[in-house]
Amino acid sequence: MAFPFLSFLKRSQGPEAPGVHPQPFWSFRPRSDRESGDAIVSNFALHMFPAKVSRASLAWKYSFWLGTGSAALFLLLILSGGPLLFLYVPSVERAYASIKDIEYVVTFGSWLRSVHRVGAHLMVVVVALHLVRVFLTGAYKNGVGQGQKREWNWVIGVFLLLFTLLLSFTGYLLPWDQLAFWAVTVGTNIAASIPFVGPQVRELLIGGRAIDQPTLIRFYVLHIVVLPIAVGALFAYHMWRVRKDGGLAAVDKEARENELQEAPASSTKTYTLLGIARGTSPVIKATSISRLDKMVNAVPDLVRRANLVTLATIALISILATFVRSPLEEPANPLVTPNPAKAPWYFLWLQEIVTDTTIKIGSFTVNGAFVGGVVLPGLLVTLLILWPWLDRSPKEAAGVWFARARRRQNLVFLLLCAFVLTLTFVGTVMRGPYWHIYWPWEAWPDIPGRL
Amino acid sequence: MEKRTNSPYPRIDRPVLAVVGVLLVISTVLFARNDREHEWRWYQAEFKRLVAEKFGPDKAKTVPTGLQQIWIPSMAKADRCVTCHQALGWKGFETADEPFRTHPAEILKSHPPETFGCTSCHGGQGWAIDAGPAHGPIEHWNEPLLGKQLGSEYSLVDNKAALMQMNCNVCHRYERETKGADAINHAKKLVQEKGCRGCHVVNGRGGTIGPDLTYVGDKEAEQYEYGRLSGQKTSFAWHVAHFKDPRSLVTETVMPNFNFGTKDAQALAMLVLSWKKSPVPAAFIPGVPHSEPQTEQEKADEERMKTGPGGWFVKTGCFVCHSISALGVKSPAQIGPDLSTAVEDVQSRFGRTLDDFLREPTGTMSVVLSRQIILTPEEKAVAISKLREAYAEHEKQKATAAKADKQAAPVAARH
Repeated sequence: MAFPFLSFLKRSQGPEAPGVHPQPFWSFRPRSDRESGDAIVSNFALHMFPAKVSRASLAWKYSFWLGTGSAALFLLLILSGGPLLFLYVPSVERAYASIKDIEYVVTFGSWLRSVHRVGAHLMVVVVALHLVRVFLTGAYKNGVGQGQKREWNWVIGVFLLLFTLLLSFTGYLLPWDQLAFWAVTVGTNIAASIPFVGPQVRELLIGGRAIDQPTLIRFYVLHIVVLPIAVGALFAYHMWRVRKDGGLAAVDKEARENELQEAPASSTKTYTLLGIARGTSPVIKATSISRLDKMVNAVPDLVRRANLVTLATIALISILATFVRSPLEEPANPLVTPNPAKAPWYFLWLQEIVTDTTIKIGSFTVNGAFVGGVVLPGLLVTLLILWPWLDRSPKEAAGVWFARARRRQNLVFLLLCAFVLTLTFVGTVMRGPYWHIYWPWEAWPDIPGRL
Repeated sequence: MEKRTNSPYPRIDRPVLAVVGVLLVISTVLFARNDREHEWRWYQAEFKRLVAEKFGPDKAKTVPTGLQQIWIPSMAKADRCVTCHQALGWKGFETADEPFRTHPAEILKSHPPETFGCTSCHGGQGWAIDAGPAHGPIEHWNEPLLGKQLGSEYSLVDNKAALMQMNCNVCHRYERETKGADAINHAKKLVQEKGCRGCHVVNGRGGTIGPDLTYVGDKEAEQYEYGRLSGQKTSFAWHVAHFKDPRSLVTETVMPNFNFGTKDAQALAMLVLSWKKSPVPAAFIPGVPHSEPQTEQEKADEERMKTGPGGWFVKTGCFVCHSISALGVKSPAQIGPDLSTAVEDVQSRFGRTLDDFLREPTGTMSVVLSRQIILTPEEKAVAISKLREAYAEHEKQKATAAKADKQAAPVAARH
């Protein structure tokens, strides 16, 4: 046993079922084949990953490890959110003061909050980039493997992105300062522009007609319970599907290039301990690329890189968090609208579209919130979800960066990305007081203060 | 170690791991240092040194270390000013430089910091522990320290520290004159002399030509029109300019130009900005009745009862619970029985004579007479004689009433 002080956990009494590892912990220095076998069976990384993975799918340049980065950020957000749970008070009267305390007097509090905030913003970025990468490599397409359902994993991925946005948005309200209050005001008012049911949707979102304690507790529970569980569950399914689909799409490309044959169904392969214990197992057909020179062991190569990415993410966020202090504006005041009042930056392209589609004819105003806030994002998300079925390119385009067959759709996709990025830039950097456009080199007018 | 894999990756990953490792160490050093490095540590060490120099090392040991705060739950304040300003209550540092100076003692007698905190008078951000965010001016905190520095920036006439008087007046708003708040007192005098209430409601009284100014201090800075104001765009600057010449800022205003000088305008600006709905406990506000006042009727009744035949029972406090109706004393509460028949009543309730009961009361009266109304034996004798008097009076009134009833009965029967 690697940890003698944990020896009480060892189940030494009674006959051991053959094949079932008797210890809850494995040895780092196995002394027998049995012990090393146990180590493998009880190792989480080996449950999650296959024993061997293709070298190509581990390449830095293929995936940029953005999915692992997102997962690392999610882990970091849970880790940094944990202590914040103990310090933050979800009450209209006390939320602001509790954040002030976290900022000023809690040991490492300011850093912790910045880790959480910078991590959350970066998670939106990294998850979005991951989606871009998957699109550009056509990785939602099924390749040569059997039973692949990559298109469904893409759909799960789109929902993971939406949940990431919602996680960030619900967290936005919690400090209960002007930034929080008005960003959520803008966001929920856009929801209110849905025809017929808009006001009801808004009422459901904020728990009343005004943003107040019911809104805060709703967003809080969504932020710390509902959405993290949803993201965790979807993430687990996302990962499982990656394995079921035979790994990353890069594997299919490699398989095709090597003209490898599908391995025959194996009768001994098992995914369950039960299979080992009873000697029976469901027969599983798997795409197996058995050319060993193209394969590496998941432990250590995959695990090491995953850990590296996680550690690098932690290091990056930690350093950023020491330099980027999280803002805390004036306490929320429903009577005073900050000028300008902005949604969170990842929704600013929508707010920009809302502005640009709001048309004034004399005293009559056509509100753009429905077009910019509901129709357009709804259309884009629907299109994203349906795209794997609309994409008619051959399966050879799966797992290839900028495949020739997908050139046109990649171009349109990139143009859309550029459009969103431009509008986000305009909304974030260039929109000043009264929503006027200011060039980056132009100074904004002074915002008056009390004293 | 045996070679387990033909993977080329370990060779590539090793330098990456090295870089990441270095970054992790750097980040740890950075955030640990950032969290530790605060000027208050130096100020506390310095103050300890000053105390040791002046009063010896033993005294210096009593200076607390670490973050200090004055917590006022009723105002949701946690003022951490005392983390650096440790000399607050120490005698002997009256002439030292800030933050090592003793606070003037006189004002603290009536305004103990443990009740009022620091920022309720001085302004500033009590949550903060560094001078920059604590003193301001800083973005996202609208109440900077109201000190000489800010006063100089506004070129206050006479007293550069006068801005703090705005905060005095948050509590002292209903006083005509407040000791030490000269600028505010001056402005209040101007409000009376110039007849501001002719047009404006202030504290519930005044005309309706101009806007109600009772809580004008709550108006947000952005809600003023600065189009015609040159220089600083602040509520204070707006009010100063407006008092000097209202029409220069608001062309269509009907407010007359009173030709206020700079000093008057500044004092008035401070006064109006102090008119805020502030989350101050009612008990902190002088000039506001802290009790439910008696009505004129109640006062007159009590006075009449005091001088009447039952006055003794009013003075001792018996009447709080008991009426003595025969002597014209009516208890406002009437919790206990009417004492007009006490002579008879005590006998029937307790089986004891009145004298005996008063000497050794039981039940509620034993508690009242041992804690609240403590009577000497002589006073008890007075009580007994008065109660006999009351009983006699009661019997007399009963007899009179019975006679009157008899006379009235035939009259009633006729109807």
